[in-house]
Parts: sequence; C-alpha cells; structure tokens
Amino acid sequence: MNEPISAERGSTDSILCVRGLQKSFGSLRVLRDISLEVDKGNVVSIIGPSGSGKSTLLRCATFLEQADDGDILYDGRYALRGGVWAPRAELTQLRRRFGLVFQNFQLFPHYSVLKNITEAPILHGEDRDRVRERALALIAKMGLAGKENAYPYQLSGGQQQRVAIARALAMNPEILFFDEPTSALDPELTGEVLKVIRQLAEEKMTMVVVTHEMPFAKAVSNRVIFMADGVIVEQGDPLAVFDDPKEERTKQFLRVFER
Amino acid sequence: MSLLTMILKMSEGLGKTCAIFFLTLLFSLPLGMLVALARMSRSRVLSAVTRFFITVLRGTPLMLQLLAVTYGPYYLFGAAVSRNKLIPVVVAFSINYAAYFAEIYRGGIESIPVGQYEAAQVLGYTRFQTFVRIILPQVIKRIMPSITNEVVTLVKDTSMAFTVSYQEMFTIGKQIANSQTSFMPFVVAGVFYYVFNALVDAAMGRIEKRLDYYK
Repeated sequence: MNEPISAERGSTDSILCVRGLQKSFGSLRVLRDISLEVDKGNVVSIIGPSGSGKSTLLRCATFLEQADDGDILYDGRYALRGGVWAPRAELTQLRRRFGLVFQNFQLFPHYSVLKNITEAPILHGEDRDRVRERALALIAKMGLAGKENAYPYQLSGGQQQRVAIARALAMNPEILFFDEPTSALDPELTGEVLKVIRQLAEEKMTMVVVTHEMPFAKAVSNRVIFMADGVIVEQGDPLAVFDDPKEERTKQFLRVFER
Repeated sequence: MSLLTMILKMSEGLGKTCAIFFLTLLFSLPLGMLVALARMSRSRVLSAVTRFFITVLRGTPLMLQLLAVTYGPYYLFGAAVSRNKLIPVVVAFSINYAAYFAEIYRGGIESIPVGQYEAAQVLGYTRFQTFVRIILPQVIKRIMPSITNEVVTLVKDTSMAFTVSYQEMFTIGKQIANSQTSFMPFVVAGVFYYVFNALVDAAMGRIEKRLDYYK
C-alpha cells in the first residue's frame, strides 16, 4: 500500500548504479560481479590492462551489450534488473540520460559537423533553431569554431573526437561515458581531447572515463577504479590508488607506466 | 533496304527498349532492397528461402526466365499468353535484376562498421531512422560502381526480349537481318547500345560525383 511511486525505482541517489554485473563471452568471464556507483559531478576513471573488461562494462552500461546478470540503474530507475532489460520504452527514455564517446569517434561521415551534432536532438522533437544555437556554442567550446560545415574526413582525429564529444553533449546527458577517447589518436593529438575533458570536469560534468592516460586519470578523477580479469581489484582516491596502491596486481600494472 | 530505312525501322523499337530498361530499374531497385533485407533477416527460414531464390535467379539464364514467365502460365494453367509481352518481359527482368541488386545491397550494408549502428543507437535513433538516415546513404555511395555495372549490363540485356518476340529494337533488327540476309542491322544495334550506354555512363558518373562530397 505504501509502496513508492514505482516499484521500478531502486534505492540509490547516484546517477549511475551498477550492482553485481556479470558477463561472459562463451566460457570467458569478462565481468565478474562488478558493482559501482557514480555520483553527480564526479569523474570516475577506469584503468586496467586490455581485456580486463573495462570497455565491456561501458558497453553494458550504455545498453550496447547484454549482461548476463546484475542491475543497472540510472537515477534509481532500473535499466537492467537481474540481467533482464527494462521494457524498450523505458530504455529509450533512460538512454537520454547518458552519452557515449567512442574510441573511433563514429561520426557520421556523410553529415557535416553541425548535422552530426544537431540531428539526434531534432529527431527527439527539440526546436531546430535552439538545437542549432546550442550546437554552435558547443562547437565553439570545443575549439572548432568555423568548422561547422566541414565533413569528418576533412578533420584531424583530435578534431573528430571533439566533434563526437560535442555530439554527445548536445543531448544534454547527465552522465558522459568515454571509451578510451584518445587511444585511436596520434600522440600529439591526445592533448587537445584531454584538455576538453578536463574542462568538462571543472564544470562538474559527471563522467566515466576508460583510459590508458594515467597522468590524466590521476589529475582529473575524483575516483579511480582499477580493473583486471573482470573484477574491480582496487578503487579509491586517485592519489591513493596511484601513489600508494594496496593490491599487488595494481602495483604490477602501474609499474609498467613508471618508465 | 537502305541503311536509313533500317535505322528508322529499328528506332521504332527503341521506345520499347527504353520501356524495358526504365521499368526494370523502377521495380528491381526497390525490390532488390526488400530481397536483401529478407536475405539478412534474423528469421532463418526467410533468409534460407530468399537465398535459394537468389541462387536460382542468378544460376539460370535470364533467357530461360523470360521464357518461363512469358509462356509458363500457358503450360502450367493453360492461361492465354498475354498479347502485350511488355508485362512478362518486365516481370522477368525485374525479378532477375532484383536478385543481383539484392546481393550488391547486402554487400554494401554489411560493409558499414557496426560502430555506426551503435553510435546511432546511443543517440536515440530508432532502428528505422538509423537505417534510412545513417546506413543507407553510406551504402548507396559505396555500391554505386557495382550498380553502374548492372545498369550497363541491363541496357544490353534488353536485347534478350527477342526470345519472346517482344518488338523492341533488337528484335526488329533481327527480323530485318533475317529477311534481308544482312549483317548490317546488328551493326546498327551495336551502335545503338553503345550510345545508350554512353548516356548511362554519363548519368551514373554525375550521380557518383554528387556523392563525392564526403569520404
């Protein structure tokens, strides 16, 4: 009788809550009982060796990959409950709460920069002129003013990734996921992308960043999660994890980056 | 018979040649997309059945298919052979070309990286919006050279309609060649097809150029 408004609400105040996430590809267990919460305004970095399940975690959180078991909640609303997706209409709504920036940008090559950014919000019924205004502001913010009519192939990798970030931001997400946003870039171009992410962190954008850029993770995050073999080995304050790791596996991993 | 008379007589059939050509494109281009989608369907049965029909249509001569569509109803049900042969000719051509287009479409669709679908999905595009707005335009650009190839072949294949005595340009030319015991009508036909295809090439080239604004 005194149930809350909807039984589909979980009991958490964080923007994203993942509980007991399990995922296997065949006999390979990629995610083993992963739980994490992301609070508003926080930046969480996920580090770890390749194959540790970082990207799969992001893909599950963004509904691109089916998890076998566990819960995923956005703002306390279930997207995944016990390994079962919420109804399609609910997922469609929840999808609006997050954005995802891919390693390979995945811009639409046949659209101009501007259209890449504006089409989705317009398809969602937003006012054309307002979306356009917002997009132009985002383009300027990304340091790409004057590039709005360029096509992706005319841009450098770093510029393309900044367009991809603008495209995600144009949806006004509450949380933004980055899947190794600089891994496909030439080394001299990573800086410009990291700078943009850092700026977003200063503006208190909630973000989850899978990255191999250790100094960046250390400088920008509120929390660092170290994953290996599908489990969260260690997590906490970036200074603690980087400078004084408790787990042998973490020390081993970080040692590689010391040189 | 003078060369000029020959050319004029054969020109009378050009309208019908064009009718086969344009009507076949009109029906087979969209039909091919439906066939491609059926071929890629998650339903195993639909996919297998479609695949079987494609192998039949690509594995047997177009000439045979023309004869089957035109005279099959008569032999099977005793139905009268329609006097207007344009209908069976266009039906046979459209089905045959749809099978080829379907495989071109399929190749194109499967060549688009899965990340494009994922990006669209995360941005909230519906599956239909994703296909129509994101995937299809890229597919069309990629497959244009293959489509041009088929269209050029279609121009020449229209001559196959002579097997069911449809009075298009080549059929008329063949009749003249027989009655005059002359090879000249075939030379004229060759020139006609060459010019036709030069126009097709130019038109397709323009379309490809218009799609050149991105890579």
